[in-house]
Amino acid sequence: MLSLLIQKELKNILLSPKFAATFLVCSVLILISVYIGINEYNNAVVQYNVNQEIARQDIMQATSWGRVRNILHREPNPMQIFVSGLHFDVGRLSTVSDFDDIKLVRSPYSDETLFAIFRVIDFSFIVQIVLSLFAILFTYDAINGERENGTLKLAFSNSVSRAKYLIAKFTGIWLGLIVPLLIPILIGLLLLMVFKVPMATGDWSSIISFIGLSILYITLFIGIGILVSAITRNSSLSFLLLLVIWIGGVFIVPRLGVMAAGQLIPVESVAQLEAKQEAFRKARWDQYSTELTQVWQSREQEMEGMSDAERQEYRDNKEWNWLEEDDVSRKQVQSDIIGNNRRLLEEAQNKKRVQERLAFNIARISPVSSYQLAAMKLAGTDIDLKIRYEETMRAYKDEFTDYIVKKQDVEGGHGGFSINIDSETGVQIDFGRNDQTLDTSEMPQYSAPTIKSANAFASSIPDFGLLTIFIILAFGGSFLSFLRYDMR
Amino acid sequence: MGAQNYLASQAQYEAAIQENRNQIASNSNWQMVEHSIMLPPQPLMTLVNGVSNDIGRNIAMSSRGELRAENTRFNDEPIFAIFRFMDLEFIFGIILSLFAIIFAYDAINGEKVSGTLKLCFANSVSRASFIGGKLAGSFVGLGLALMIPMLIGSALLPILGIQLTADEWIRLGLILIAGLAYFGLFLALAIAISASTSKPSSAFLIGLVVWIFAVLIIPRASVLISGRLVEVVNVDEITAQKNRYRIQLFDEDRPKMADFKVPEETEIEDVMALFSSFMSELSTTRQEKIDLFNERLNEEFRNRRRAQENVALSISRLSPTSVFTLASTELAGTSLKLQNNFMDKAYAYQESYSDFMTEKTGSTRSGGFRMIMITTEDGEEPELLNPDELPQFEFTSEKASVSAANSIIDLGLLVLFNLLFFGSAFVAFLKYDLR
Repeated sequence: MLSLLIQKELKNILLSPKFAATFLVCSVLILISVYIGINEYNNAVVQYNVNQEIARQDIMQATSWGRVRNILHREPNPMQIFVSGLHFDVGRLSTVSDFDDIKLVRSPYSDETLFAIFRVIDFSFIVQIVLSLFAILFTYDAINGERENGTLKLAFSNSVSRAKYLIAKFTGIWLGLIVPLLIPILIGLLLLMVFKVPMATGDWSSIISFIGLSILYITLFIGIGILVSAITRNSSLSFLLLLVIWIGGVFIVPRLGVMAAGQLIPVESVAQLEAKQEAFRKARWDQYSTELTQVWQSREQEMEGMSDAERQEYRDNKEWNWLEEDDVSRKQVQSDIIGNNRRLLEEAQNKKRVQERLAFNIARISPVSSYQLAAMKLAGTDIDLKIRYEETMRAYKDEFTDYIVKKQDVEGGHGGFSINIDSETGVQIDFGRNDQTLDTSEMPQYSAPTIKSANAFASSIPDFGLLTIFIILAFGGSFLSFLRYDMR
Repeated sequence: MGAQNYLASQAQYEAAIQENRNQIASNSNWQMVEHSIMLPPQPLMTLVNGVSNDIGRNIAMSSRGELRAENTRFNDEPIFAIFRFMDLEFIFGIILSLFAIIFAYDAINGEKVSGTLKLCFANSVSRASFIGGKLAGSFVGLGLALMIPMLIGSALLPILGIQLTADEWIRLGLILIAGLAYFGLFLALAIAISASTSKPSSAFLIGLVVWIFAVLIIPRASVLISGRLVEVVNVDEITAQKNRYRIQLFDEDRPKMADFKVPEETEIEDVMALFSSFMSELSTTRQEKIDLFNERLNEEFRNRRRAQENVALSISRLSPTSVFTLASTELAGTSLKLQNNFMDKAYAYQESYSDFMTEKTGSTRSGGFRMIMITTEDGEEPELLNPDELPQFEFTSEKASVSAANSIIDLGLLVLFNLLFFGSAFVAFLKYDLR
């Protein structure tokens, strides 16, 4: 009897015009999004390689080690084809040099504002908005529609339990919706292979968990649809109710959650942070120059009362030590500034993290947010994308500056000018060496941060769990209400 | 929500300005000042976001050379980028258009199914007046229902502490009118679909498919297609070219610098002055060359990009949703032009800033190197700077009339779509099978 009911439900769905339309729309949408995503990704890879090459050439053309700066780029990630997440909003590159702090700037959207107006369409967007809407369309009259037609009474004239009937109903709808969906998804995955997108094994497992997540999400909406249809008596009423739930869940709750958290925990803007850092830098340099003045004054005092020849000799003896001393204190200033910058940054980041946690927890009232957050985590385009990159770049910067300092010591060339004014010899200006190209073969290489797919999966488990809990609630609710449903 | 968001970004803006001022005030020498200007938030920006969250808001000012806007809102606070904001454009563009279809998909065939349509025509009613009444009735009824919350919302703005100028009120009014027209066209579309199908369920399905295409697919697809049609050079390539040219010029100047000599018997104090005027002379000629080169590159790049944008926007106008988006962002001053507008203003400001700096320091700052003067004499306590002396950066968007004129095509298109759908609803109904 169960299989008969499932068959009936399946036929009911597969033969309806509704199904033909949704299947067509979904397939077209999914295939277009994957195709576009692959193209975008390939372009990004080409651009990334060109940029790497440009950065390398620029370094080679720099004439002295003191003036070398490297530019690091964010590496394109094949998972962004499915879940673009924050990829387009976070800066693409950062300069690495002695005097600048690491900062990702120039997000893809700010470089190409045209794309920012309408945004991109990716697989997660289609699942989140379009497929959830379709799931509702297929289920809003699952129970009360049959009551209106009178087929509900007819079905129960046979010896079938209510629980069995509901299970059959759900299984039928689920198979009818999910199985046809898998077809365009599989074709999409095939496209990945045809276009030879370089996917690591970790990426494949991320994609599989992402598809699992999407199925979970659609299942939830099927559950909600059946629940509402089992609570209400008219299919028009249940449809309206579901639509309100859909708009609230998909569009309103996630945004409100984030905006509310933004109000509750205000964080300072980057501009403000930078101005603070700048102020400290200024103050520290000023302090340095007064210190230096004092040091020189005391050195002058030591020479007090000497004759010119003695003075000259004394100077010649001490000069090297003096310069070393000055250099040490100058380095101290630099490391103080960097230390302060990082401390301020960390404070700001910690505050931001608190804000984020609150925002996401409020947003998770809606399972749509859980889906979105988990999908981004799986794809590696989540909120930590920026921090992850900036941290590894900062580590690289330390390595890079060490290397530069070493090179400078070996080959000379500080890149700046030094002006010596002497009452006897006049003014001499030293501009450093003027070499040809630099040998960059030993330069440290930057490698982009990678997250293991196992870790990504582990961090998205709470969201998986939340979705499962929502599903259980929806089904439990629909069982309870259907057991007491008035069939007349 | 928009209001709160505005107040928050206003607070951020003011705090940042204050930090900048403090930073300037801690200096004793104008040469050491690092000034930066900011795009002030505007109330309409938070009502219709447009691209305002995606473009750089801060520009580090220098007396010469290229300026670059940095710190986009979404890059600074990616948390907001995940779900984005809820603004008027979103509410009208996505939610209300869907509502319009839900309200009207069974306007005609629903009456047929329930039998009231036949009943109605048992009276002496012409088809034309029936459909006319239906269209007008639903439009006025739902339009009024929409107007009330919109008016309440607008009235709340001043109460929440947001003062709009008369100019901005006009803009807001036009945005709301565009929104109503947009809502109306979806209503008419749904009625037209309803009048050309016999079952409400299929009318709803068709309406939904049309909605998905208009709202989600056409606007995005148009951008991608235009990206294919008009090739634009990679931005990084251009930046690299500029950098390379700059380095090349600098290297050409190196020998000249090495030859720098001062006449014998110059006072030490004068040497620094001589040196810095020498350097500034060199860098001025260098900068002129660079400016010329950059301008040529930028010009070319901008033209290509504009061509690309025009193609994209023209294709996207097939969908009423993007017509509405373009009209409302234009009216709110958050269209694609915002970025150019901000940059133009910044360059204009750069001139007055440069003049100011020249007046204060005697030379334009070449930037990039730090001079540490070590004197062996005791100096007096240096006087701190007064940041009020700096010229103020003011950002004004275009006049409402200009924006209105710019968006006239889109507003016209909205009206045209309305007429088209009204017309097709009319024609379809005249041929409708009432049985």
